[in-house]
Amino acid sequence: MRLHILAALAIALTSAFALYGINYDTRQLERRVQAKERAIKIARRDIAVLKAERAHLGRPERIEPLARAQGLRPATERQLFAVPAEAMADVFSDTAQRTARAWRGE
Amino acid sequence: MERAITITPLGGKPARRPQGKLGDAVASGRLRMLVASLAIAVAFMAVAGQLVRLALSSQFQVTSSLNATIAESFARPDIVDRHGHLLATDVEAQSLFADPARVIDRDEVVEKLASIFPDLNQVELRKNLSNRRRRFVWIRRGLSPKTAQRIHNLGLPGLAFRRELRRAYPGGALAGHVLGHVNIDNKGVAGFERYLDEVVGVEAVYGATLAERAPARLSIDIGVQYAVEEELATALNRFGARGAAGIVLDIDTGEVLASASLPDVDPARPVMSLDPSRIDKVASSTFELGSVFKMVTVAMALDNAVVSLDTLVDVREPLTVGRFTIRDLHPAGRPLSVAEIFIRSSNVGAGVLALEAGPQRSREFLERLRLLDPIKTEIGPVAAPQVPDQWQESEIITTSYGHGIAVAPLQFAAAAATLLNGGHRVIPTFVKRQPDAERDTVPLIKPATSDDIRRIMRRNVTDPKGTGKRADVAGYPVGGKTGTAEIPGAGGYKKDAVISSFLAAFPMNKPKYLVFVLLFEPKGTGDSGGEVFAGRNAAPTAGRIIRRIGPLLGLLPTSEAAAAQSNRVFDATRLAKYETR
Repeated sequence: MRLHILAALAIALTSAFALYGINYDTRQLERRVQAKERAIKIARRDIAVLKAERAHLGRPERIEPLARAQGLRPATERQLFAVPAEAMADVFSDTAQRTARAWRGE
Repeated sequence: MERAITITPLGGKPARRPQGKLGDAVASGRLRMLVASLAIAVAFMAVAGQLVRLALSSQFQVTSSLNATIAESFARPDIVDRHGHLLATDVEAQSLFADPARVIDRDEVVEKLASIFPDLNQVELRKNLSNRRRRFVWIRRGLSPKTAQRIHNLGLPGLAFRRELRRAYPGGALAGHVLGHVNIDNKGVAGFERYLDEVVGVEAVYGATLAERAPARLSIDIGVQYAVEEELATALNRFGARGAAGIVLDIDTGEVLASASLPDVDPARPVMSLDPSRIDKVASSTFELGSVFKMVTVAMALDNAVVSLDTLVDVREPLTVGRFTIRDLHPAGRPLSVAEIFIRSSNVGAGVLALEAGPQRSREFLERLRLLDPIKTEIGPVAAPQVPDQWQESEIITTSYGHGIAVAPLQFAAAAATLLNGGHRVIPTFVKRQPDAERDTVPLIKPATSDDIRRIMRRNVTDPKGTGKRADVAGYPVGGKTGTAEIPGAGGYKKDAVISSFLAAFPMNKPKYLVFVLLFEPKGTGDSGGEVFAGRNAAPTAGRIIRRIGPLLGLLPTSEAAAAQSNRVFDATRLAKYETR
């Protein structure tokens, strides 16, 4: 009988230690999860700021003068020209001709 | 034979041994086993209870701490334009607060903070810090990182920072009226921001928790919006106007691609919107729009089969109604066809058409185009139209040329879109429609009427006598109608104070976009030949806008000469050059 009691006590103690160990590991994992979550939160915060900065740098008010300085202008009718059909047959492949016909809305 | 031993307590009777089952259990040692098992079970339960307590205790502590001190804020979804360009987003910002109980020298705190915030109300702050029972006093919210660092470097005890969400508008004042603004708690109070709160939904959060929702997509195109705002600003200077407004509308879907009102407002500075001169002239104000309204009058006469475009109307004599006499600015001295009435913008002709149709049909047509009832968009209610109380002859004549009835430009643009898109209803919207979304095809006018309106609008630009000839744009077939409306004031209409407007559409062979430009109280300058008429200021402004936004909207410019050629192709070499540089 005493043996049983001692065995039970030993099991209880072992279980207690095991449970404590599991609890400790769990809390460690929780800390790591919290650290990751904090890192995610900080990363998301940084991403939000970077997104705003990128949008600020890409605003038309800033881009337009830069584009003009590069010689870019809105497309005009001068960028269109007529090509004789015979010339097109020589120059373009069938695919290109189909594309050209698509441009013309045919 | 064994003999039972009885233990007798001193001076007493022998102890009674439990009888029955209990006695048997004691005798066999099972009772001790039971007690030991119970003790072990209790030990296990204690361990389990402790584990549960440890697992839960830290959460309770954090939650109670947060609830006790941090104010509620709102995490908002981003706002992007129709192509996904960011227009509004939440970012974290430091907010400064004080704990009066921990402030050691309040005079030092106030003086040092005043050196960083010159506009700080020192008296109020000193009073707040004097109350030691208060543990929390906001000092300044939404600080920039640089300012927060300067305050941190002061090393003043009793001051602390808290992270909060702040709305950032990377485009600055771009589309400011459309976006609206939020209050100090990041709650939308005007414009599309308010729509987010009321319809899309925002998340009430503690501290600075960013929203994880998909962005709200506007119908606005920031490239088009910028072009419109910049051209209006240029027109403001060129023509000495006090204000300007512009709309670009998709006439099929009702999507607003640009909506600008100058002077503008910066969504990050809500106080600007309190300035009456900065009110949104597109949707929040009504105006008598003048002759641009004649496109409605002519459409009404055509749709009711009162006239055709070729019907001749006698406009030689002024029109007299009661004590009013309606004259043409440049009398033709001969009968004019309906098309000519439109192109020459004849007030007398428009009045005659309205009289021919009669009050009932005139009013019914305006009702059909939703020009008499209030409408609402995602950025709020559109200013309700101001209409005559009764519809007698004098009222229908004045409304025929755009006086005596005041509507918001956005509402008029939607009605004009119906006249141009083949006749179906247009409900203006600031939210991007999905390509597969069901189209509104409720017919309001006959397709033939729409065709006629397109034709005369185009003629108004191409005809040398047309009032809209200065809106012509190389490469794009543009059509339009001018309007120069006197502004009502005390005791009648003001002298030399007008709203000049031009309602254009392009490409007129199959209109896709409507551009409505309004200039408020322009002056006669060198650029306008000393005149204030819309044909000299609003029409060329609309033309400049169309020249810029056409390529942005994916419409290739054409030329009359090139259009005559059947085998025109796009210059891919030059296109590549422009795309890659």
